[in-house]
Amino acid sequence: MNRGAILFAFNSPKFNYYDMAVATAKRVNHFLDMPVTVVTDEASISESPYKFDKTILVEPDKSNSRDWGMWINKGRYQAYALSPYDETLLLDTDYMVNSNKILDVFNYYDDFCCHNKTSFLMQPGLPQEVLSVYSFDTLWATVVAFKKSSRTKQIFECLEMVQKNFEHYSNLHGFVAGTFRNDYALTLALRIANGHSSVKQDFIPWNLVHLGQKNVHIYRNNDDEFNTEYTVMYDNWQRGKIKKEYITIKDMDFHVMNKLNFMELIA
Amino acid sequence: MDTKTLISEAKARFNHNAAKAQLKDKYDGKLIIADQGGLWKATPELISFLDSASEDNFVILIDNFDNPVQVDREKLLTVLKGTYQKVMLEWHKEWKELESKR
Repeated sequence: MNRGAILFAFNSPKFNYYDMAVATAKRVNHFLDMPVTVVTDEASISESPYKFDKTILVEPDKSNSRDWGMWINKGRYQAYALSPYDETLLLDTDYMVNSNKILDVFNYYDDFCCHNKTSFLMQPGLPQEVLSVYSFDTLWATVVAFKKSSRTKQIFECLEMVQKNFEHYSNLHGFVAGTFRNDYALTLALRIANGHSSVKQDFIPWNLVHLGQKNVHIYRNNDDEFNTEYTVMYDNWQRGKIKKEYITIKDMDFHVMNKLNFMELIA
Repeated sequence: MDTKTLISEAKARFNHNAAKAQLKDKYDGKLIIADQGGLWKATPELISFLDSASEDNFVILIDNFDNPVQVDREKLLTVLKGTYQKVMLEWHKEWKELESKR
């Protein structure tokens, strides 16, 4: 059985996702010893000496946006059909791999798994995100591992269905449909594919660690390309004043929500 | 600017609670292992139970996925003990390093 990672990277006017994918792919090669395929479009490809295992060109769906502008995140459901691997690790391009821990999921899972629990660096105790107060806890599409099987094919087909009917599902579950989110689509698709229930085996048995967007900034401790030590700074507002706090972390994978911060880390 | 200078110029305070929480996040997952068709977390409770059931070669346990799994007791005990010792040593070492920061 061959195993590899797949990254979706479409540049937006504000962020260069292709460059992020190159940096993440190098770390996947280094720490996980896995080939990496990128799914992108002609316009996003920038000159880089790095060679992906495969580069798959698709037509980007540009119909999504966020507060900062166009966000091409649709079409993740194609991962199943496009992945050239029997076992695939589907990662967000802003996931900072610093260890080989994620490889363990291939020993645990049946044929699909993702994170269902998260924690935020510097903000322990934040509640888990929910689709809405009337709905489910959010699952996370940041890290997904899957094996090709009829069940995982169904999961990705459901993901496509949810994406194409996102507004309908937002009405059903009471969340705002303005911005399409893969996390929400995955939450719904996995439940549908599992007969409207949840299966424990589908969840990675440790937390996805996020680096939050606001008040938190991460710096690398040295300029080594495969550095794994970081300092996390936090602006703690107390009585109208900022008190700077920090921690140091090492050998720990994390998801950087602030794309500009991620770009600084890989520069 | 290196991070040491950054910390010093910002007069930043080391946040022990956040550091403790991130260590738990980091090492909790490392205590989980797959063995003999089940998923297990190396906890003192499970290790003690396996150790105490010394009259039985095989025991049936509920794994992390809530499945009953028949296991070779001694084999699982060895694996869990080894995992626990290794992970806790690393956790303790890193905690000591962080604890010394002010």
